[in-house]
Amino acid sequence: MLMLEAEGKALLAGSGLPIPAGAHLVSDAAGVAGLSLTFPLAAKAQVRSGGRGKAGGVRRCDGPAEAEAAVAAILGTRFGGELPSGVLLEPWLPIAREMYLSVVVDGRAGGFVALYAPEGGVEIEAGPPPLRYEFGLPRNFRAHEFRRLLETVEADRAVRERVIALTRRLLQVAAAQDCTTVEINPLIRLQDGNLVLGDAKVVRDDAAAFRHLELEAALVSERMREVEDVRRCQDASLMLVWLEGEVGLISGGAGMTMAAMDAIAAAGGAPACFLDTSGNPTPAGFGLAFELLDRNPGVRAILVSMFGGGLHTDRVARTLVGILEARGPGAKPVVLRLQGTGSEAATEILAAAGRVNHASLEEAVAEVVARTRAPEARA
Amino acid sequence: MSILLRAGARVVIFGITGRFGTFSIRDLRASGTEVVAGVVPGRGGTEVEGVPIFGSAEQAVCDTGADCALIYVPAPLALDAVLEAIDADCQLVAYPGDGLPVADAMEMRAAARARGAWLVGPNSPGLISPGKAKLGFMPSFCFRPGPVGLISRSGSLSYEASYRLSCAGVGQSTVIGIGGDPVKGVTAAEAVTMFHEDPETAAIVYLGEIGGTDEYAVADYARRLDAKPVTALLVGRTAPPGKKMGHAAALVGGYADSWAAKVEALAAAGVNVARSLDQLPIAAAESLARAGLAPAA
Repeated sequence: MLMLEAEGKALLAGSGLPIPAGAHLVSDAAGVAGLSLTFPLAAKAQVRSGGRGKAGGVRRCDGPAEAEAAVAAILGTRFGGELPSGVLLEPWLPIAREMYLSVVVDGRAGGFVALYAPEGGVEIEAGPPPLRYEFGLPRNFRAHEFRRLLETVEADRAVRERVIALTRRLLQVAAAQDCTTVEINPLIRLQDGNLVLGDAKVVRDDAAAFRHLELEAALVSERMREVEDVRRCQDASLMLVWLEGEVGLISGGAGMTMAAMDAIAAAGGAPACFLDTSGNPTPAGFGLAFELLDRNPGVRAILVSMFGGGLHTDRVARTLVGILEARGPGAKPVVLRLQGTGSEAATEILAAAGRVNHASLEEAVAEVVARTRAPEARA
Repeated sequence: MSILLRAGARVVIFGITGRFGTFSIRDLRASGTEVVAGVVPGRGGTEVEGVPIFGSAEQAVCDTGADCALIYVPAPLALDAVLEAIDADCQLVAYPGDGLPVADAMEMRAAARARGAWLVGPNSPGLISPGKAKLGFMPSFCFRPGPVGLISRSGSLSYEASYRLSCAGVGQSTVIGIGGDPVKGVTAAEAVTMFHEDPETAAIVYLGEIGGTDEYAVADYARRLDAKPVTALLVGRTAPPGKKMGHAAALVGGYADSWAAKVEALAAAGVNVARSLDQLPIAAAESLARAGLAPAA
């Protein structure tokens, strides 16, 4: 789960990391009046989408009236489609330099890597790739190894030593709090030489929620913010991501669902969703899948493509026949492809209900794409 | 030969009295794999389906000579179970479960490597050396013995792809599901190296997806002058950026995560990249032909 800047900074501050002093979080412009603020300050939109700086989500304010206006303006602006949940007011810092520092989990390292760039800030993507120190397990971090690497990119000895100490602390938080990313961009060197975390992007590992009560609670409220369809699927152990296309795809397994999406595109169609039913291939699971696809006006035809490994496709066929019969005439066209374990029985069950079981994914995909174009798809 | 899992493997199952555990006793036996023990703390001395249960892995290994462990316990208990299997000297440990904290995956991986053991998983169906042994729950009918070493990040894709290969006469030496998580036991880089060293593997098939860096490791291998022919299929071409496609690691953040970037890197390294699932058996057969082999009838 990606935390908001203010949440991430609070987590890091709790472990003694240097965040800007005297910050306030407000959720409406009226809230600015009661605060004792020092100026100038930075008003920063609290959103999860990136690129907020370039989109006007960080504003300098020289007085209370300006701060109120900035808060109102930011709260009324969408950033990457997302309305800010609040505005963070922080002292405008006397910046001498901006660097980049992060501690992230990386598959290649089998664990953590530390990344450092002597020039950070909003243009980080445009610069050369940051220095990379791979160490894997947190306990394998060695200051002397990191130092040797830092010496190749960072000329300022004092900065090097402070960065090393800071990295050790970030790593301790990441390990204790199950964070997969702690990214500080910019890491700010103040005019007095001290370092302070200008921004913080903290991603916590959802899978570790069982050992962090506050993460569990945050996930529950994040789930409440999800669109209803996605939330209902999560509750039913289905994986749903809505896409833009017209072919409603019901599949099983993440890899095969993506393979079927790609096959639909290769046949000239476009998938309306990623919908993986492998977590709940039951009447309730398939019933919900059909309900959502039937209700979505963008879906013009439905493809059910399941390859039975452990799954018995004859049972799936019986479930589908029940659902299809209950939908009645005039419903969106449905194309079926059940292969693998139990598929001969599945074909018979479907045939008895007047349905065709396509023998291959490719044949079924061609058929469903054709059906999205046929006039009866609009019926 | 095959990699990691050989004929005669002796399997101990953790969580053997659960639904998956009991299913696996029958399923592994049907595939010719010997299930010699189960581990359930506090339930030593009992048995299930004729398999003796022990209270600890140490006891199970000592009494039965088990050398491979299959771990079916919930994610919060998984790290301790895997460490126990490794400490008991199991040389190969499969943890198929998903939803494992990445910090626990790091610990498991490091502990296995420190003892010279291999972990397969998390979030994987395990591995199978067709005709020899299976450690996991992939459907056996999809596979047949042969010269192709197959590596997959996705379970479901590995079943259907292997089935199509088997139907086309392209059998497999070992099929390994490395799993859909970012940090894992055997990685793509390690699996290709093992297949490279396996005299019974003539060509490699890699099934990848968006997100993560495994595909670049496969490209690195394929650039070796002595590399065995590599065929690949990547899924997720139509996945939008910023959305997780089921697997924890299947997410396009930057360009390097994208389908296009990975296909480009693999193709540039000389990998035969199949354009679609139905092209995969054709591409794999071409690879075998380059290695001087024809598909079986």
